[in-house]
Amino acid sequence: MISYAFKALNANKLKTILIYLSLIFSIVSIFLISSISNGIITMYSSMLKSDGDIIITQAKISDTFFSNVDINLIEKINEIQNVENSSALIVGASPVEKLPIVAVYGVTSNRFKNYELLNGSYPKENEVIVGKSIFEQLVNKKQIQIANKDFKISGVFKSQIGFENGGVVLSINDAGNIFNKSASMIMVNTKVDTNIEDIVKNIKKLDEQIDAKSTQNFVDNYNQFKIIKTSSNVISLIAFCMGLLGIVSLMSITINQRKSEFGIKRALGISTSKIVYSIMIESFILGLISFISAFIISNIVLYFIKNASSLQGYVNGEISNELALYIFITSISMAIIGSIIPALNAAKTDPVELIQGNKI
Amino acid sequence: MINVKNLTHYYGKDKALDNINLQIQKGEFISLIGESGSGKSTLLSVLSTLLKPTNGEIVYENINYKDIKNIDRFRRENIGFIFQFHYLINYLTVKENISLANEKASKKQIEELLDLLKIKELINKYPNEISGGQRQRVSIARALINNPKIIFADEPTGNLDSVNSLNVFELLKTFSNKGTTIVVATHDRNLAAIADIIYEVKDGKLI
Repeated sequence: MISYAFKALNANKLKTILIYLSLIFSIVSIFLISSISNGIITMYSSMLKSDGDIIITQAKISDTFFSNVDINLIEKINEIQNVENSSALIVGASPVEKLPIVAVYGVTSNRFKNYELLNGSYPKENEVIVGKSIFEQLVNKKQIQIANKDFKISGVFKSQIGFENGGVVLSINDAGNIFNKSASMIMVNTKVDTNIEDIVKNIKKLDEQIDAKSTQNFVDNYNQFKIIKTSSNVISLIAFCMGLLGIVSLMSITINQRKSEFGIKRALGISTSKIVYSIMIESFILGLISFISAFIISNIVLYFIKNASSLQGYVNGEISNELALYIFITSISMAIIGSIIPALNAAKTDPVELIQGNKI
Repeated sequence: MINVKNLTHYYGKDKALDNINLQIQKGEFISLIGESGSGKSTLLSVLSTLLKPTNGEIVYENINYKDIKNIDRFRRENIGFIFQFHYLINYLTVKENISLANEKASKKQIEELLDLLKIKELINKYPNEISGGQRQRVSIARALINNPKIIFADEPTGNLDSVNSLNVFELLKTFSNKGTTIVVATHDRNLAAIADIIYEVKDGKLI
């Protein structure tokens, strides 16, 4: 049965290639949009999780970009039982040279260790360290201007979190002066085997203007992540539907051209279910080959995206095993669902047309 | 073998078969002759279970058509069919084309059948690598591979020259002599004469 399916696909090369391409385009689209959105979410959540079990932001603020928290809370937070230490972060953005938008991270000195220096030293006042991606694009590699203020480049760093490599890091005091705020968020590290929710409650008591969440809770409920995920799912669904329609139309053309084949099978007493099954096997093979091809192509594309300096490391796709499995199921479903209607039509071929002298 | 009573068939409002009564015995070689549109192909389609009759009764060795639950299986196990055009599948070899009709047929069985039809050497060829006459012989082999009780052939020589046409009819006669019932529709009265019995179909009636 499988060898017959391969022969049938080979005998209809042009249509097979067209269906294969249609599947590949859809699957690669789903791979890229899902992996890139996953990558963005993973990178940002990794950054949040890297140095904190609890995140504190301004209450009733939809995005951390607009959050302003009093940095002096750190001292009170550190006094709470089972708190190991706390750090603060300002997240901002600014044009740098010809780059329209560059992420700017103002951090407390205890967060500097998160940025692995490739050369130079950590920033003092009026100094910055720059990520390796942005450093490659700077014309002036000694000094940069952020919000009309000049900063000396004291070093270049590398981060495991892709988009940080496209950013600039400076002390939280300097960042506070630029963005006119105290801190975007405070991250709290707790001691091992501590009930985080108890500490969250205690932190909330310190100030009515703040909102505290465990990092996992924050990541799970962060609106921006939900928007990215929803957008990604909608675009993936559109790609799925486009692929599905492509397969239905191309399979219908192919099946129509093979009507005499199905007519003779019916005349020979081959059951309709067996005819449908044989077409499903052809579709499954196409779906499987297309998935493997799309997986390879997507990885190549993602590699180039990841290493494209013009993207400053902001776009960094990640194909997890879970995502690959999800897209594998999607690909096979797309191929099989797309061939159901053409297969049923093929199985309905009336063999009487053969006997009536029509070469159907 | 086959007992047909008061068989009538309509295509919409057009009557294609009109009160046909017919008895076919085991091993008989029957020719149905008639002009184009006379109803012989429709009769063949109905008798071979490809077409459900509008009215009347067909009984195959005590099994009434109406009582057949799995028509595909019945056709697969009892009936062989030869068309005017060979309808071989081009991307399958001769052996694979024949296996379509009987997946359980061994290579040896297929070789023996092809040997009988004098085309054993074609077993691994593709349809586009053999002649028209050879293709029709392969389609005969495909019709015979499941040892059918009855073979229906609709203008099986319609696309063949006179020599190949005669060969096909002689082959069918050979199988008829071995006990297979053969029903052939043809417009060629000379070839029809090879059969044991000739029926003429005219305006949907058997004369």
